[in-house]
Amino acid sequence: MEHLLETIGRNMFAIFGVMALCGAAFMVAAKSAVHSVLGFLFTMLCVSGCFLALDAEFIGMAQILVYAGGIVVLFLFVVMLVELSKFKEKGVFQLQSRYAVVAVLVGAAAFVAAFKNVIFGASSPEALILRPELAKGLDVAQQNAQAVSRGLFSDYLLPFEILSVILLVALVGAVVLAKTERV
Amino acid sequence: MVNLNAVLLISFLLFSIGIAGVLIRRNALVILMCVELMLNAANLNFIAFARHSGSVSGQAFALLIMGFAAAEVAVGLALVVALYRKRDTVQVDDINLLKG
Repeated sequence: MEHLLETIGRNMFAIFGVMALCGAAFMVAAKSAVHSVLGFLFTMLCVSGCFLALDAEFIGMAQILVYAGGIVVLFLFVVMLVELSKFKEKGVFQLQSRYAVVAVLVGAAAFVAAFKNVIFGASSPEALILRPELAKGLDVAQQNAQAVSRGLFSDYLLPFEILSVILLVALVGAVVLAKTERV
Repeated sequence: MVNLNAVLLISFLLFSIGIAGVLIRRNALVILMCVELMLNAANLNFIAFARHSGSVSGQAFALLIMGFAAAEVAVGLALVVALYRKRDTVQVDDINLLKG
């Protein structure tokens, strides 16, 4: 039992990653938009679990706040406003499906070509292991929020301020776009 | 310890599912969600490389991307609502205003 728990703890990233992939596949394949939104929510929660497994605690929590708390609710509101039941999708795959299948095949071939050594290779190249000792030097694991904010407000102050302007523009743009017509 | 190859593999697959969704689905809402998924895959790469190099810059950038994604989704959903008001549809196949 203890051994099992230890194994699960060591493979937390892989577990959350595979769950995120399943949620994403469900999101793309679901016919109803509400089911898609629920799959999206599940995927975002699993990705935040991946972030936590990679010692990015602050980003993981921000992910839950921003996506589960904000964006998913926004999507659900729009699904509620837009009457989706009158658009009958004949199937998930439609007119462009032939091109989509070709694109997927090309992508799969590129994937196999890129990861061939890792997946099939008898002597796979030495795996890159994430280096915890460097992270420890910066106290990323213990004081993640402090480390991120120090980076954000010193080295990356200008992108941070530009992002605030972008958010303001998006706010104004969303209000203008969604406003009812004045005749 | 987490293998960097595993992180890259997962993020690659998430990105591919996002692209497949954008190509296959005709519902504008689902397409927006797939774009969000692709941004998340990029975020996962940033976090993994930040962990790998021991620098915190990747995490700061992931936070910036998250804010950017929020702005994008706000404008995108406003566009969807405006389109629904004007054209009474959210299927991207039915939107051909530029065809003339």
